[in-house]
Amino acid sequence: MEPSISQQTSPGLAEPVKPPKSQSPWALARRKFLRNKAAMISLVFLLLVCVMSILAEPLTMPVEETAKINLTQMSKEPSADHYFGTDKSGRDVFARTLHGGKTSLLLAFSITISVITLGTLVGATAGYFGGWVDNALMRFTDFMMNFPFLLFVIVLKSIFIESSTGTLIFVISVLSWTGTARLVRSKVMAEKENEYIMSAVSIGCSAPKTIFKHLLPNVMSTIIVQATITLAAMIVAETGLSFLGFGVPINIPTWGNMLQEARSPDVLTSKWWIWIPPAAILTFTILSINFIGEGLKDAFNPKSNR
Amino acid sequence: MLQYTIRRLIGMIPIIFLISVVVFTLAKLMPGDALSGKIDPLNSDPEYIEEMREKMGLNDPIPMQYVRWMSGVVQGDFGDSFVHKRPVMELIGDRLPNTIILGISALLITYLLAFLMGRYSGRFAYSIGDYLISAFNYLALAIPSFVAALVAIYVFAINLGWVPATGSIGSGVEAGTLEYYLSKAKHTVLPALVLGAMATAAYTQFLRNDMIESSRKDYVRTARAKGTKESAIYNKHILRNSIIPIVTLLGFDIANLFGGAIITETIFTYPGIGYLFVESVNSRDYSVMMAIAMMLTILTLIGNLIADLLYGLVDPRIRLS
Repeated sequence: MEPSISQQTSPGLAEPVKPPKSQSPWALARRKFLRNKAAMISLVFLLLVCVMSILAEPLTMPVEETAKINLTQMSKEPSADHYFGTDKSGRDVFARTLHGGKTSLLLAFSITISVITLGTLVGATAGYFGGWVDNALMRFTDFMMNFPFLLFVIVLKSIFIESSTGTLIFVISVLSWTGTARLVRSKVMAEKENEYIMSAVSIGCSAPKTIFKHLLPNVMSTIIVQATITLAAMIVAETGLSFLGFGVPINIPTWGNMLQEARSPDVLTSKWWIWIPPAAILTFTILSINFIGEGLKDAFNPKSNR
Repeated sequence: MLQYTIRRLIGMIPIIFLISVVVFTLAKLMPGDALSGKIDPLNSDPEYIEEMREKMGLNDPIPMQYVRWMSGVVQGDFGDSFVHKRPVMELIGDRLPNTIILGISALLITYLLAFLMGRYSGRFAYSIGDYLISAFNYLALAIPSFVAALVAIYVFAINLGWVPATGSIGSGVEAGTLEYYLSKAKHTVLPALVLGAMATAAYTQFLRNDMIESSRKDYVRTARAKGTKESAIYNKHILRNSIIPIVTLLGFDIANLFGGAIITETIFTYPGIGYLFVESVNSRDYSVMMAIAMMLTILTLIGNLIADLLYGLVDPRIRLS
């Protein structure tokens, strides 16, 4: 009945008025995120740090140059030649900070990707199948959770003593996927009760297809937020381990390795330019990642109206 | 409750057994072997080395060695430290009090700061003070503990000279005297502050949000309607309810503190368990390393149990079974 009435009231229109297209959740989240000032400033800062680190070589000098010991340029204060001065071996701190950022960020991103992938796979499998699969996987997760992270990374790291950065990625990933697995499992368990999953299964979708095409896109927002938290934590983990001497080999510049120099009282006391730059950039990078994470969490939350 | 605790403790036994297998395997996988620290380094006669290996049981099959180590562990004997030439338990007994003092001071600092800041933020939400506190929280979350430690040493120990930068006790101070305790406190305050102040963010946020939520509840409206003073409403009615859930975080903190002590103690060269661990890994002192790894893992298990028990204690709706 009603369509005929509406046609009568608007005879002038040739075509029926289309209802405004409702925005997808992703578009809504994007709009909310773009309006979040703190998150946007942080994103710009993080991108800047990333781009500067990637362009470390054209901006300053090749990696091999940064490792060269230059006895004539030892512990020089910041100047036009060396923006951040030089360290105790005469190496340019500015160049090392950029190259260090490249290594530290690349490592943190790689670890985050592998941690999130591993955790999501385990969590989604356990949550989707339930039953004994869930039981076995979760007992294993609980077991892995018992190992204090830092302690066992150090132990594992000293087993692979002459190792590359690849082993560091492996060692840290093995010990840190548990939190993500638990989170994804709980989200998947809640999500799979929805009718669309039942319909997908009833028309004959295989389990992998249901998980990857239907379930995971709907828990993706949680996974993305978890990834930002992991990223921040992994930057801390890598730099902390390198600082203690259990991370990246000392000859490769990373922020942690640079900060290691501050363990000598002389550098800490009177040569602030050697350790303040990596310390400050490290802190601001983590801060900006935290703000981005917070912004994403807010953007994905349909209940928040900021 | 008691039944639950006992059941959980019994449930830990197989887990501890599995952990011990992992720890032992890892120690065996590490390069070099326990022998290198124990024999006369000048005597490189292969016959002598072989004889010592045989004597120490290093030629036995690995499972045999595991059983020997484990039977010692069950009796509280972790063997001897190769570097320090003393029983491991004695060595840990020496260092443990330092770590415990550090841990408790750090916890007290965390709780005190979080209580004060959370109370203020909860009561005056969205005020300038609240924003300052949350700015501090963001910063504390972002600064890695070793950077915070470096900055703290730079500012308080070197530039201001208030406290010493390293160690846990001044030289030539006799144990038991007042001077001794003062020296100990002076050495502990900086690492404790770094460890404690950096951990407040979660607590502060928790207390703040809980207080804001409580302030909208009916019992608060009733109190207000009856003309109770605003300060009394916050300090007596709301705070008492909001402070309880925080206790549950304690369990997780126990294990975290010892883990965090690894970095903090190393920077301050504070002779506790964490520093001992780093030393032992660096010098391949396996028996010490295994003992600390076992201890901290078991501590994590116990911490989780305490957290679960506290949940039940604080919130009667959670039934432990």
